[in-house]
Amino acid sequence: MSLTALSNDQRDALQELTNIAMGQAGASLATLLDEFVDLSVPRIRVVEVVDLPPVLADLVGKTNLVSAVRQSFQGYLRGEAIIIFGEPGCQALADLMGFEGELGESGENELLLDVANVLSGACLGGMMEQIRNFTETNGPAELSFSMPLVMARQVMAEQLIDPQKVQWSHALLLEVNFTIKNRDFIAHLTMLMPEDGIEKIRGIIDEFIAAF
Amino acid sequence: MSGEAFSFNLAETVVKWLDVGIFVLDKNFEVQLWNNFMAHHSGRAADEVVGKNLFEAFPDLPKPWFTKKVNTVFLLNNFAFISWENRPFLFRFAHNRPITGGADHMYQNCMLLPLKAEQGKPEAVCVMVFDATDTAIAQNLLKEALEAISEISNRDGLTGIYNRRYLENRLSSEFDRTRRYGGTFSMVLFDLDFFKKVNDTYGHLAGDKVLVEIAARMKAQLRTSDVLGRYGGEEFILILPETPREGAHLFADRLREMIELEPVIYDNITIPVTVSMGVTEHQADMPSYTSMTHQSDLALYASKAAGRNRVTCYDPSLEKLAADKH
Repeated sequence: MSLTALSNDQRDALQELTNIAMGQAGASLATLLDEFVDLSVPRIRVVEVVDLPPVLADLVGKTNLVSAVRQSFQGYLRGEAIIIFGEPGCQALADLMGFEGELGESGENELLLDVANVLSGACLGGMMEQIRNFTETNGPAELSFSMPLVMARQVMAEQLIDPQKVQWSHALLLEVNFTIKNRDFIAHLTMLMPEDGIEKIRGIIDEFIAAF
Repeated sequence: MSGEAFSFNLAETVVKWLDVGIFVLDKNFEVQLWNNFMAHHSGRAADEVVGKNLFEAFPDLPKPWFTKKVNTVFLLNNFAFISWENRPFLFRFAHNRPITGGADHMYQNCMLLPLKAEQGKPEAVCVMVFDATDTAIAQNLLKEALEAISEISNRDGLTGIYNRRYLENRLSSEFDRTRRYGGTFSMVLFDLDFFKKVNDTYGHLAGDKVLVEIAARMKAQLRTSDVLGRYGGEEFILILPETPREGAHLFADRLREMIELEPVIYDNITIPVTVSMGVTEHQADMPSYTSMTHQSDLALYASKAAGRNRVTCYDPSLEKLAADKH
């Protein structure tokens, strides 16, 4: 068991925290897309960055193509959010947004960026809100975000992240399934953080468990 | 606030002079704040703009799209971003690099931030406009360089037409496209007759001149969608999209005749040149594009065997001919 793995209790608590946050993400997405959005309960786990490529490949499917958006955040927690979309999901999104015919590459990218931004903003922002409700340890739970960037279009999941080039040691992996208008698609929200970030979250979770 | 120690409001002054465009909109898109970056680049001072509707003050703004963007920030209570890569700019500002430019406007990244009291709904949206021109210019230069490299890697060094690598990629993609979307295409494989003799008699420089000249003459006859490349040595391939066999045959024969009628002149020496050609058309039951190179090779061989300087279309009977040869 790795140093930073979560105990079952800790994972349940984190699941609870992110559930509420993801509920908001779902509501926000529904507003953005003007469609009812059904979000699954997120599955959550902590993985070391070296294990990330095979884990992502398992999640998304080895031969499936994905597109991904990255966005860094800093403040209460520091790290990088990577939002991974399966290729059918991108198409479903484009259809939903009512883009007639050819969406064009830059239009499609803008759409991906908007959706990714709403997801990471709502999820991390929602987590911060939950944290503010029960603790003031470590100062105000606030984050700022930098501009999201499309990091890859249509690559194999395994090739998405090269652990050698990542400065983060650990990743909090949040898997969320979306259903929009009877179309299923999956987005994976991956939050890469340094080890002390994971430690900080663990501390927060323990406080959360003690408070309820 | 430590700002009270000064004779001016610290935060206000910093916002005013920050080298980032900052303006604030209320729910009716009325401008509430307009800093110097915005004033100086737009040529519209704060007192001209503040209190006015943004779209009335700047009718050129992309109103429906930007309205949606700002409204989303109000609704979701979440920040939003605009990247120059998707939309080069929000405001058409000149940039500060008139000499090193290469861009005719300032590229902009924007961040939209909901403004609100501690608890509650956003009452205003702050828009920050970042000058991204340097990044954009650097990225565009890089893109051009990469395109140039990819172009060079697809070209034959001597003749300037496509090389074998490109031909094989192109045949493969043309094959896939035809299989998926229907239609047809033909390919012509051809070879200069007795080219070894040209080299031996007149020297390699003369041989090179012949290759360059033939490639150039052929290229001048092509439609824009046709692809001509050097497959190796004195062997060339012509890919003719949307062309059935008969059309390819006629076209190939016209090229053959053109080459035969006009010898290549090198160093005042007249070098007669002829070519032998093999034509084949895509068929639905072919397993891969290599079937086409195989068939055109057999047809080319038949042209050679029949006396050269001619065009042969592939026919299944050629398979038997080839088998007998071995």
